[in-house]
Amino acid sequence: MATRVKDKKAAAEQWRVGLSDDQLKDILHKLKLCRYFDERMEALYRQGRLPGAIYSGRGQEGTHVGVVYPLHDDDSLFPTHRDLSAQLTKGLELRRVMAQFWGRIDGYTRGRDGNSHIGDWQGNRTWTVMSHLPIAYPVACGAALAYKRRGEPRVAMAICGDGATSNGRWHEALNVSAIFELPVVWVVNNNQYAYSAPNPLEFPVPTIAERAQAYRMPGVRVDGANVLDVYQATGEAVDRARDGGGPTLIESVSLRWRGHAGHDPAKYVPKELLEDYMQNKDPVKRFEELLRSNGVVDDTTVKELDERIQREFEDGYEFAQNSPFPEPGDVTKGLWVEDGYWTSEPGRGGGTQT
Amino acid sequence: MATRTLEAGAAGHGAEPRGKRDDDGQATYLVAVAEGLWEEMERDERVFLLGEDIGVYGGAFKVTEGFIERFGAERVMDTPIVEETIVGMALGAAMEGFRPVAEFQYADFMSSGFDEITTALARYHYRSGVPAPVVLRAPSGGGVRASSFHSFNPEPWFAHSPGLKVMCPAFPTDAKGLIKSAIRDDNPCVFLEHKWIYRRVKEKVPEDPDFLIPIGKAEVKREGRDVTIVSYGMMVHHALDAAETLAQEGIDVEVIDLRSIVPLDTEAILASVAKTSRAVVLYESHRFLGVGAEVASVIAQEAFESLDAPVVRLAPPNVPVPFSPALEDAYLPQVTDIEDAVRKLSAW
Ligand SMILES: Cc1ncc(C[n+]2csc(CCOP(=O)(O)OP(=O)(O)O)c2C)c(N)n1
Repeated sequence: MATRVKDKKAAAEQWRVGLSDDQLKDILHKLKLCRYFDERMEALYRQGRLPGAIYSGRGQEGTHVGVVYPLHDDDSLFPTHRDLSAQLTKGLELRRVMAQFWGRIDGYTRGRDGNSHIGDWQGNRTWTVMSHLPIAYPVACGAALAYKRRGEPRVAMAICGDGATSNGRWHEALNVSAIFELPVVWVVNNNQYAYSAPNPLEFPVPTIAERAQAYRMPGVRVDGANVLDVYQATGEAVDRARDGGGPTLIESVSLRWRGHAGHDPAKYVPKELLEDYMQNKDPVKRFEELLRSNGVVDDTTVKELDERIQREFEDGYEFAQNSPFPEPGDVTKGLWVEDGYWTSEPGRGGGTQT
Repeated sequence: MATRTLEAGAAGHGAEPRGKRDDDGQATYLVAVAEGLWEEMERDERVFLLGEDIGVYGGAFKVTEGFIERFGAERVMDTPIVEETIVGMALGAAMEGFRPVAEFQYADFMSSGFDEITTALARYHYRSGVPAPVVLRAPSGGGVRASSFHSFNPEPWFAHSPGLKVMCPAFPTDAKGLIKSAIRDDNPCVFLEHKWIYRRVKEKVPEDPDFLIPIGKAEVKREGRDVTIVSYGMMVHHALDAAETLAQEGIDVEVIDLRSIVPLDTEAILASVAKTSRAVVLYESHRFLGVGAEVASVIAQEAFESLDAPVVRLAPPNVPVPFSPALEDAYLPQVTDIEDAVRKLSAW
């Protein structure tokens, strides 16, 4: 019977959770770009060619891409130091991100901050990251409050790590969002370590998701190795928030593959645990295999994609190296709105050598 | 004599293990702080450490590397990311007879414990008579391309919270002697270690376990007749560099290292200015209402008669610490800025 054939076909297509081939390929592009960026930047850091610090998000791309993908352009994102992949997915331009890493004028902060302490509120509604954890959680409540007050169908999403959930601000923000039924999605990127502290040193409960009960909101735990699982669970939370159903807590589990920052060899992470995650729970590899086995991509398309990503990186690198430093005399500008620094073209200093 | 080495790696993040003194007994500033902590923990069982990543990892800068093996996890307590509770818990334990030493991963994150520091800890004794012997240690300061949230100088915040003693040593010997004094002091102490100095400056440091540097005493780090530079922390080293150059031009600079911000050693400042009649106040916290604003005001009021020229303040502008090398260098007073200021002043 016709209906049965259709059902079967629908069942066979369930894996793609409603996403088109183009969208799936787009997700693969983002996952691979973030991985490639992370690897190359670390190599440059090790060679001493990158000033400042780097915080690798490798192994967590499934979380970062998966949670951001359901967001609309005018939804806002409040990430942390670890979430560059989420910021790139939300729309930050690679070239300007790279200019930021080298302290150049074309970076989003005009050289005022470095690395992933970046954002573009006017452009794609991403909070310019601050270090203090989790300093943006309460701020996300404010953005969500604004959407609710004006009756706009918009959502605020905040991301932080497992370690940041120990902090009082995290609990205050969840509590307030539940009381006022704010359109927020709280994401915890549980990569199992806060610097050197494993989960059991950070909190007594087995999962972070179950803490949602205390605030009477849904709490969902997903496997960060499966980007589509993350996408689907977050999509439901985003829809619910948009429809007036209040906040949700999403815990996406992965492992931090690299040290806390570039300098940290992370000897405290058990080797077997790391190997298991790298070999069996690699979100990028898994998704590529999924698309290959379903015929969405093949050797040729993947090769093209890899080459495109390399080109994008080289282009960003060139752009960053050719971008001048800020004008030293501008150091005092931009503190106040009325000096106009942020609404005019900035001074472009000399020299492009770090 | 202290010597200076070039530090590998631009970031302010800790890299190498703590290590020991080198073969001829010289200790870096970082090793000196570690020795001071270690000796006080050996001496007094009530002393314990708490903070983030200080145990198994040995601290973000590796100051407490090896401590957990010697003193155990009870006395080298790894905490979650809970600055308010770290401070509050230290206060409570101190009220019950312990002598806690809390580490902040960066001085910047002291703002995340601000209420417990400036309300609970600072004001407790004045209203109750109950001593609160707590030490808060934190790596502060810039010059290492670590941008706005890893380069801060919070000393004016805490100097402006009555009830806290505040220290900012510039040399290994002072760091060791002061951390030991802070731990033995019955009042809450804020001990700011400068991360630029950690591995750059080393010297022979006393080994006597009862060697102490008194809190609230400045020291003349270089004697001179023509101009006084009053400073503390990283800027002391810049001042000494500038003094070398200026000496070749015949300008004899005296460098006063405050070492402690609270209590402030006004006597030492005034004695020097009485001799030189000219003063540059050089500091790394914001110029506006920063530590040097108080120093300049003390000089202007108390040494007015001896001054031959206005007191000059040299300090960063009132903006957050920027990342880009081009901007951070414009933000922080450079050695050449100090030289220029002194030249101008001595020509007055
Ligand atoms: C209030 C505060 N205290 C300390 C730090 C220093 N610090 C930076 S990252 C980090 C660990 C964060 O762990 P987690 O929240 O799990 O995020 P991850 O780095 O694993 O992504 C710490 C302690 C900070 N950024 N903020």
